[in-house]
Amino acid sequence: MRKFTLNRDKKSLNPTDEQIKRQKDFSRIHHDYERLTKRGKKPLYLDPKLFMLLLILGIMLLLAFLDL
Amino acid sequence: MKNRKNDKNLTEAQIIALAKKDVYYFGLLYDKYFNTIFSFVFKRLGGAEDVAGDVTQLSFMKAMANIQKYEDRGNPFSSWLYKIANNQVYEYFRKKKRLHEVPVDEQRIQDLGKEANINSYMSMAEQEKLIEMINELEQVQQDLIELRFFEKMSFKEIAAIYNITEANAKMRTYRILERIRNKWEN
Repeated sequence: MRKFTLNRDKKSLNPTDEQIKRQKDFSRIHHDYERLTKRGKKPLYLDPKLFMLLLILGIMLLLAFLDL
Repeated sequence: MKNRKNDKNLTEAQIIALAKKDVYYFGLLYDKYFNTIFSFVFKRLGGAEDVAGDVTQLSFMKAMANIQKYEDRGNPFSSWLYKIANNQVYEYFRKKKRLHEVPVDEQRIQDLGKEANINSYMSMAEQEKLIEMINELEQVQQDLIELRFFEKMSFKEIAAIYNITEANAKMRTYRILERIRNKWEN
C-alpha cells in the first residue's frame, strides 16, 4: 500500500552517492544466487549408491565383530 | 581470473550473451545498471533506503536467474530490468500492509496538472487536491501516472514494462488524464 504526498520540505527524492555505495554489492547477490541454485542437491545419505556402500560396510563390520 | 581490460571492448549485446553462460559477466550489467534501478526503486518506495536496497538486490537476483530467457526485442536492456524491479516493488506493496508515503515534487504535480489541462499553475491547495485524486485511482492507473510523470519515463519505456505498444501506453495514460480532468471539473 502506498500513498502519494506532496514533497513540502523539498527534500531530495533521489538517493545520495553514499546510499548507492552502501547498497551496491554484487558479491551479496552472487552468494545468494549460488546458495539458492545449489539448494536442491540431494543429501549424501539419500544417494542410493552411497547408501548401499554404507550398508555393506556396516554389515562387514558387524560380521567382523561377531567373528571376534 | 577474467581479463577486465577486454571487458571494456565488449558491446552490451556481447555482455548479455556472455552473462547467459557465466555469472561474472552479469556482474558487468549489475555495475552498469545498479544506480538507475536503485534510484527507480528508492523513489517508488518513498526513500526507504534499506527496503529499496533489498528490493533492488532481489530484482537483480531474479534478472540473473532469468537472463537465459531474455530476448532482445528492440527495447533497451534497462527496460527488462525496470520491468522486473517494477514487479518486485508491486510485490512488496502487496505483501506489506503498512502504508508507504511516497513524496512527489511540486514540479511533477505542476507538469501533471498542465498535461491534464487542469491549470497552467496550481496553488498548494490545488496540488494537494490533485494528489488526493491520484491516490483514489486504481493501482494500475496510479502506476502509469507515476511512471510517466513522477519517474519521467518515456512511453516507449512504459510500453516495454507492460508488454504493450507505445501507442497503447499513450492512450491509457491520456484516458486516465481525461478521467482526472472530468473529475476535477465536476
